[in-house]
Parts: sequence; structure tokens; C-alpha cells
Amino acid sequence: MRATLAQASLIRHRARTILAVLGVAVAAAMLLDMVMLATGMRESFRELLLVRGFDIRLAPKGTLPFDTDATIPHVSAITAVLRGNPDVRDISAVLGGSLHIEADGRDVSAAVLGIDPKVQGDYELVAGRDVASADAIVVNEYLLRELGAKLGDTLTVATGFDAQTRTYAGQKKLVLTGIARFIYGAAEQSSAAVRRETLEAMEGQKRRDRASLFMVKVRQGANPDSVRKWIEGHIPNVTAISIATAIAQVDQRLSYFRQLAFILGAVSLFVGFLLVTTLVTVSVNERAGEIAVMRAIGVSRLHVVEQVIIEGIAISLAGALFGLGLGLITARYLNSILSEFPGLPMAIDFFLFQPRAAWSALGLLVASGIGAGIYPAWRAASLPIAESLRREAIA
Amino acid sequence: MLLTVLSFALLIQTPQGAPRTIAIDEAFASQAHLKVGDRVTLSARPDTPADSAEVVIVGAIARRGADPSEVARGDYVVRMHLDQLQRIAGYGDRVDRFAIATRPSADVGRTLEQINHVAFGFRAYRSKDIAVETSRTFQVVSRFHRAIGIITIVASSIFLLCIMVLKVEERRRDIAALRLMGISRLSVVRSIVIEAGLVAVLGSVLGIVIGWVVSLVVNWHYQALYRTPLYFSIITPSIVAFAVALSLVLGIGAGLVASARLARTPPLALFGR
Repeated sequence: MRATLAQASLIRHRARTILAVLGVAVAAAMLLDMVMLATGMRESFRELLLVRGFDIRLAPKGTLPFDTDATIPHVSAITAVLRGNPDVRDISAVLGGSLHIEADGRDVSAAVLGIDPKVQGDYELVAGRDVASADAIVVNEYLLRELGAKLGDTLTVATGFDAQTRTYAGQKKLVLTGIARFIYGAAEQSSAAVRRETLEAMEGQKRRDRASLFMVKVRQGANPDSVRKWIEGHIPNVTAISIATAIAQVDQRLSYFRQLAFILGAVSLFVGFLLVTTLVTVSVNERAGEIAVMRAIGVSRLHVVEQVIIEGIAISLAGALFGLGLGLITARYLNSILSEFPGLPMAIDFFLFQPRAAWSALGLLVASGIGAGIYPAWRAASLPIAESLRREAIA
Repeated sequence: MLLTVLSFALLIQTPQGAPRTIAIDEAFASQAHLKVGDRVTLSARPDTPADSAEVVIVGAIARRGADPSEVARGDYVVRMHLDQLQRIAGYGDRVDRFAIATRPSADVGRTLEQINHVAFGFRAYRSKDIAVETSRTFQVVSRFHRAIGIITIVASSIFLLCIMVLKVEERRRDIAALRLMGISRLSVVRSIVIEAGLVAVLGSVLGIVIGWVVSLVVNWHYQALYRTPLYFSIITPSIVAFAVALSLVLGIGAGLVASARLARTPPLALFGR
């Protein structure tokens, strides 16, 4: 009965109801996008860090992984110390650098990682074989295109290049054995990986037994934060970064987007709320006589209140359902814009759809629909019956 | 702690053995509790032995310029003498780049060609070409803001349209009374359109004031957060003109559509008879 009356009231003014639903839909779309932006970035980054199961990263003291050229000395000694903790399962030492590859008389440069293929967590092999031997190299598809090479080709690779004399340093011939997708690499970035000992040999004495980064997996059930604290206590020249601290650092750097999401989300919710309140209030004012008649024939205040609130919820729900679809489309578009950030890993999504985000947006909209109906419902319920009927009769 | 070391191409003769000076940025000074006159030890790598590190004096604390590329970067900047940095970093007689100022009358294109013709192992670029390349981040942010702006404009347009339609519809009985008194349809429509226009103008003025206050808060907050004199939100005359024009068009349009519809309806029907 209440729902039927609310429906009749909404259908009576179709154009107005459609406009209100459209308004709420756009506000809902914006709200969903902003909830996705506020939570998606962090979740996407967390997934990216955990994709290969490494819980802790060790970078040179005071730096973030690969933020500077600084390296950690004594890899073997540090590995031995880490092995001393029973909660440490796997250790992957990574040495970063740059490569110069001669291709048809051109110098093609790329970022290179020196890894141990048994425990590496930086790339996934797409085709071919991993770097099983000291003369093997894997590259990403972008670099493969740049080089115009194919699997099995022998590449002349160097770690140093003097542009003035056009001479290479640390040159070595490597066989292209595989094509890989580098998890933390940007879309337009040339990347390659070789065994760490290969890169060390090419770089020379100054980078012998050094690593740019250690990645550590802890045993199942162990607390990564306790292991992180243990590492910082035992290895003073490194900064140990757990997933939580890495996310906190990214949060700090990208706080602008979270704040923008919060502000725009709040504004969207307020606009939706205001729209529904206005519409339902006008609707109640127009039906003052009708409501007075209902009250005069014995319809309870609660019944009137419920009917008005149902009207508010109906507009919010219809708008929200339409808006959620619209929000997914706009989120995709906005994500495509932000994914063009230079140097951003390809796998990072700013707008990540999670059912929880959709439910949060829907919940907020329904709550705002209920809230929007409260004032007009109170007005409707507190109308003086006799006076409203008299005014209606005179009108 | 992350240090980005830049250097000035400036050589100053100092007494043999006396520590030389460096300039550090405000954020670094505040974080490391450093003040002018403090002695600090510098090295290029964290594990450098103390006897190989350089002792310098903090000679100046510099405030960062309005450089967008530094926003959201947590780096601290130390400026030091070129020869000293080359020695500490083991860089030899090398630099990462040269900056060249040309005379106002110089033909920059020709100068570039001349340099590149004789260059051996390096290449000269026009500053504005480099700026285009390095400002990709801001182009992305700008595109994102534009897209958000379009969505906001669509949302506010629908909101405005809805409110104006409601406002006109609320006047059903007034319009019916005017029509019954013999006032022409055109006069009724005109009066409502003028009213809608006035409401739109008043709303725009209020919106501009709110926008201006919000802009002040945004700048105050983000300038403090990122320690930069950059302006994050600027209200320009063209933005104000666009907002007022949009609100007027939508307000008057909605008033026109709703009033024309009501003016066509027989007055008694508007009374609900």
C-alpha cells in the first residue's frame, strides 16, 4: 500500500522524477568512482607487491627500492644473516643497472635486473626459457621491438657507454633466451634480466657482491612485521619495508588523489541528498491536501512517514542502480587517463572495482535516500489536518 | 634518507682545508634539525668510511621554487659546489647537463644547430622542448581534472535543471490565477524566465564566492602539505564567465521549458479541476 502510493506519487510527475533519477545517477556514478579511487589504488598496489609472495623488501638505508643508484654491500653476508631467522623462507637479491645494446648501429638502452632465476619476483616469463646460464638474457616485448630481435639471437650487451668516444664498457655477448613481462615495469620501458653474477661480472669490481634490493618471503603463519623489525635490528645498513609500510609510503605520495576522492565523493553524496530532499519536499507540499485527507480518515502518522521515505529511497535506489553502471564506464575512462602516468607499473589500477566499493556506494546512497526523506516526512506527518483541509478547500 | 644532489656550476676559492658551504632546502633542514652554520658530513654512498667523507657547513637554507616537477616527491635537495660533488661522487670532470642562456637577440634555432653540428657525444635541446617531455605527469593530471570537471558539469547541469523545473512547477496556482485574470501566455512565460534568470545569477554569485573560499582552502592545504608556493586552484575570469554562462543558459532554458508547458495548460487544469 505504502509502496503503491509512493509509486503513484512519483509517476504523477514523470519528467521531474526522471530528472531527479538522472541527477542521482550521475552523483552515484561519481560516488562509486571516488570510492573506487580511494580504495583501488592501495589495493592494486598491495596486489602488485604480493603477486610473487614476497612480504618484505630491503633497500639501502634511507631509500626506497630503486629510487636511487645506491646499493647494499656484502650480499653473501646479509643472505647468511637472513637465513639465521627461521621465519625467512626465500631471499631474492636483485642488482639493478642499465644496459646498452648495439642494434643495427644504434645504441639501445634498457633497465636491467641481475637476479637469481630460482627465487626472482620481478617478472613472469611469457615465452622461451629463463636465464638458466651466465650468457642468457630475457627481455620484455617493448625492448624486443626496439631491438628488432628474436629468441635465440645473440646480443652484444654492455653496462657502460661513453657517448663521446662511442665506446662500450663491460661488454659481453648474451643469448636472448626468453621474453618476460616485468611486473613493476612501466608500459613504455625497455627492461631486461640476466643472472646477478653476470651483471656483477659486467659491472666490474665496484659492484661485486652488491644488491640494489633484497626481497624476502616469510614462512606461512609468521608475522612479516616482526621479521621486518628483526631485520632492521640485525642489518643496520638497510631499510626493511613491509607491504604495510610500502602502502603507507605510497599513500603519502598519492595522498592528493585520496583527498580528491574524499572531497568529490562527499560533494556527490551531498548533491544527491539535496536533490532527493528538494524533490520529495516539493512533492509533499503539493500533496498537503491529499495527506491531510489521509490523516483525517485515520491513516497513521507512521504510515505517512513511511510513504514519504519510500519515495526518497525509490529515487535514490533507481538513480544508484543506473549510476553504478555509469560509474563503471566512467571509472574505466578515468583509469585509462591516469594509467598514462610516466613510469607507473602497468599493473597498477587507480580505479579498481571491488564488490565492497559498490556495496559501500550503494549503502551510502540508500542511507542518504533515507536521510533525504526525513525532513519532508516530518513535514508531512506534522501537517495540521483541519487547517490543511480548509486551505485545500479554499484553493 | 633520500638525497638528490644538484650542483651549481660555481667555483669559489676557499682557504686550503677550510670546510666549504652547501645550501639545503627547507624541508631537509626541518627534518634533520639543521640550521645555518651547522657542520655536516657528506658522502655519495651510505657505507663510505668516515675519513673519506667531506665535512661541509650549511651556508644557506633555501625555499623551493614553484616547480611542479618537485610536487609529491619526497626528495631533499642539497646544492653544493660542482668540483666538490664531482670529487665526492667520483664523477671526474663530467656534468649531467649544461644550461645555456642565449642573448635576447640570438636566434635560438640557429644556435642549437651550430652546437649540434660540432657536438661530440651530446646533444642540445631547446628548454621548452624538454619542458614538454618532462611535463607529461602534469598533462595526465590535467586531463584527469578535465574529465572530472566534465562529469561535475553534467551532474550540476542536471541538478540545476531539476531545481528550476521544480521551482516553476511550484507556481502552478499563481500561473493559473494570472491566466484567469487575463494576463497573456507570453507575459507569464517572460516573467518566469526573468525570475529564472535572476535566480541563476544569484546562484552563480553565491557559487563563485563559495568556489573562491574553497580555492583559498585548497591552496592553503596543499601548499602546506607539499611545502611549495605553487597554486593548486586558480579562479580565472574565463572560469567565472563559463560558470555564470552555463548557469544562465541552464536556468533560463529550464524556466522557459517549464513555463511554456504550464502556460499551455488550461488554467483550471492547473488548479486541479
